[in-house]
Amino acid sequence: MGVQRMSLPSDDVGADADADANTGYSRRSLLAAGATGLSVAASGCIDRVQSVVDSDTAEQVSLSILSLPAADGDRETAEIARHLESNLDAVGIDATISTRSESEFLETILIDHDFDLYVGRHPADFDPDFLYETLHSTYEYDQGWQNPFGFTDTLTIDRLLERQREETGADRERTVATLLEGIAQEKPFEPICVANEYRAVRTDRFDGWDENYLTTGSGYLGLESDASSDTEQLHALVTDQRLTQTFNPLSPTTHEQRVIVDLLYDSLAVPRWSVPEETEATDEETQAGEEVIDAANVSIEPWLATDWEWDGENRTMTVDIREDCTFHDHTGGDDTDADGSDDNGSESAIPLTAEDVAFTYRFLADTTYGRAASASPAPRYQGHVSAVDSVTVEDEYQLTISFSTDRAVAERALTVPILPSGSDSPWISHLESSVESADDDWSPTQGDWSIVTTDHAPPTGSGPYKYDSHDAGTSVTLTRVEDHFTLRDDDHDLPAPTADELHFEVDPGTSSSVERVANGDADITTTRLDTYALESTIDDDAVSFVESPSWSFYHIGFNTRSMPCGNTHFRRAVSQLVDKQWVAEEVFAAEDSARPVATPVAEEWVPDSLAWDDGELVTTFEGEDGDLNVDAARELFASNFEYDDGALVW
Amino acid sequence: MLTQVLLQLTVVVTLMVLVSIAVFVGRYRLRDTRLEWRARVRAAAPVTALLAAVLLFNSVARQYGPDVSWMIHWNLTWPIYDVEGEFILWLQSFEAPAITAYFSFIYIYGYVFLLVFPVIAYFALSNTRPLRELLTAYTLNYVLGLGIYVFIVAYGPRNMMPELVDALLYDTYPQYQHLTRQVNRNTNVFPSLHTSLAATVTFLAFRTRAIYPKWFLLATGLGVSVAISTMYLGIHWAIDVAAGIVLAYICVALAGFLVGRWSVTAWVASLRDSNPSPSTSTGTDTNPDTDPNPGSSSGSEPKADAGTPDTTPSESEPETGSDPEPERA
Repeated sequence: MGVQRMSLPSDDVGADADADANTGYSRRSLLAAGATGLSVAASGCIDRVQSVVDSDTAEQVSLSILSLPAADGDRETAEIARHLESNLDAVGIDATISTRSESEFLETILIDHDFDLYVGRHPADFDPDFLYETLHSTYEYDQGWQNPFGFTDTLTIDRLLERQREETGADRERTVATLLEGIAQEKPFEPICVANEYRAVRTDRFDGWDENYLTTGSGYLGLESDASSDTEQLHALVTDQRLTQTFNPLSPTTHEQRVIVDLLYDSLAVPRWSVPEETEATDEETQAGEEVIDAANVSIEPWLATDWEWDGENRTMTVDIREDCTFHDHTGGDDTDADGSDDNGSESAIPLTAEDVAFTYRFLADTTYGRAASASPAPRYQGHVSAVDSVTVEDEYQLTISFSTDRAVAERALTVPILPSGSDSPWISHLESSVESADDDWSPTQGDWSIVTTDHAPPTGSGPYKYDSHDAGTSVTLTRVEDHFTLRDDDHDLPAPTADELHFEVDPGTSSSVERVANGDADITTTRLDTYALESTIDDDAVSFVESPSWSFYHIGFNTRSMPCGNTHFRRAVSQLVDKQWVAEEVFAAEDSARPVATPVAEEWVPDSLAWDDGELVTTFEGEDGDLNVDAARELFASNFEYDDGALVW
Repeated sequence: MLTQVLLQLTVVVTLMVLVSIAVFVGRYRLRDTRLEWRARVRAAAPVTALLAAVLLFNSVARQYGPDVSWMIHWNLTWPIYDVEGEFILWLQSFEAPAITAYFSFIYIYGYVFLLVFPVIAYFALSNTRPLRELLTAYTLNYVLGLGIYVFIVAYGPRNMMPELVDALLYDTYPQYQHLTRQVNRNTNVFPSLHTSLAATVTFLAFRTRAIYPKWFLLATGLGVSVAISTMYLGIHWAIDVAAGIVLAYICVALAGFLVGRWSVTAWVASLRDSNPSPSTSTGTDTNPDTDPNPGSSSGSEPKADAGTPDTTPSESEPETGSDPEPERA
């Protein structure tokens, strides 16, 4: 009930006060005021009275678990949080669940860092290098997706994270294995399971849904439209209202934004994912009826780049980009006359050149673009851009990029969205006006300043779809860009936009979304469905559920900045309170939809020591079939902490 | 989807209202209403305008409320759950398809009917005091309830208890979520406005039981059903419902205290008096507030036994136009 903040040792309270001074934002003090007000009648007051009377009295360890709403958020997350909460209670910890809306949840974890622990999904990636951004101590104080746990291990983990970036082949595999074992020991977070994603689709208007990966924008390209029916508009359903309110590709608190960002922006390269052919799949895989997604199935393919060449040392890349690509023009048909230019919009549109690519990498590394005293990295894509040493523009359509990492990691950096750099660029104009209106010592809060939090509508990208209009909180419409290179050029086999319009509409939740697809009211549920929906039966051949394997893993994230989660022994003991096998089987309703994991990377990278079935370093549940063996579990804590009258105290 | 649900709601509630007019209001009151409706509209106009203003303000403020709420951040979800435990789970252990269907119907249709019908029933009375008390109590419910929503963030049982899967409204009848989403936020559960508005109607029905005895019985049944439905369907905690009943009691008491205290018509008349033009007697016949127990004029009327109302309630359209369609849970 928010009381645990006050029961922290005094040095932590001091840290909180410092954070207030830094942000200059009264949110935290408001929170404290609220907690005080509410707890007068509750235990908080009594606790404090007791500690005044007897200052030696140790207090019970209390933890607040951040989680999402069950019905309007993520039922599986909420259920795992409940499982953890009851087991924490059983071992004598005063655990509570704090339910937040999706964007509040992300803001609390990624921006405010104001949590004890949380249950949620990590976006992850096909390459283990996403761990660099997730855990490197460079990002300890950053806001955004970089190191939300505040984890620091400069001697071991940092060095391994750096080393695997520079190595290739078997060397890298060994380093990654050592790294994963180190992470499994330290447990800044504890992965629970990887779950497939499910979406309901209609195949009578558009087909070919399973050709591409529906978690990314490419899933909405290269579809087959049925010529006999009306296929002008593809109608997609999303759950998160924020998707129709903000279009800022840098926003870390917008959930499942990736599809729309992918469609609005081009990147130099895109990950292409392929399901192994039936014949290629191993017997085991076929037997289990599952499609295994792993690094072997993903390759980075040229997109906006036509080609790239590595130098002999694999550290510098020469990239050629497509000519005559333009950023979307939002000036509108009526305004072009006023410009005095010709009516043809494409003539006046801003061309995309090597300058824009160079700008993008510099801007993502420092959103103040050198205007402030210290750099302000974007709260997204840090793992990507940190691999880039420098970008040199050779000519209008050619540039050289030098990397501090080896090829595998470097090529991943090519997947960031390319932003416009010209004088019309919304980023530049935002910067200019911020600098103008600021004092001499302008120092915007990293990860949370207006260029990152602004709605950024209309968004200006160069992708296959262009922003058309939106009704905040209700819907957003994108229109096909007729002269996008995927439609214009024929020197490639890249998927091109099919539908004239994409209409993303907010729909309240899984049950209602499935019903609307079944009614013919929508073509796809863009937001992944809760797995219980798969149990519903729909009498319509045109409706099916598409399964997409995922890297994204459910996990417990610990805030290692404060006690008790700053203690490794404590984190290890907490990790043994979750029965991953039980979660994968019982919480995820559909059979084989989730698999328990001991380490957060794609299967190809999992070392034997962390293989779920028989790895010797796998953390096991202290109990069976979801039921905790309370006495044994208390032993885990008792070796490092004290019990007083059944309560874990400190 | 939304228009379809709205149309269905309008048709069903209209039918229920028409039948109820025939059963509870009767021919004679309608005949009087035809003659006196102008005066009654004038009497109820100020408070109706106030209610409309509050609803309008609400629809604008709703966009900003949640942000402010998260900033203040008094998250009561856990304390409520901690105190109340698994009562909702117990309630849902009685789950059966027929019960779910009944409570789903009550939650949507029964509730809207319960709020709309008394507006018409009280409009059909010569004494406008019950009508003005009703509209004042509605207004107070919104003002106080929405005020609390700004300060308190709380999720309902369906968002806290993933094990509730069998009898949830939005899983059984997902189409209703399009409707309730228009008027409701999932963090606005304490107190239950569904319960407080339903209880308000019930309390007022108790006050007017001498005039509408049968309506009192129906309103009680519906009010209790609405309160149970919000819990059975996993939308509200028992504590929300209890708070809703308390809120309703406060609103009804306040309405009884406030109504008749100020008179807009008298105020307008006093302004006119300062002008040379002679004022008509509007002030006098619209303010018969001295008697808090209504029914002196209409209570003696024969009870309605007419099968079909021969007068359509079109005269009361200006009233129903302000009916509280955008209810909150």
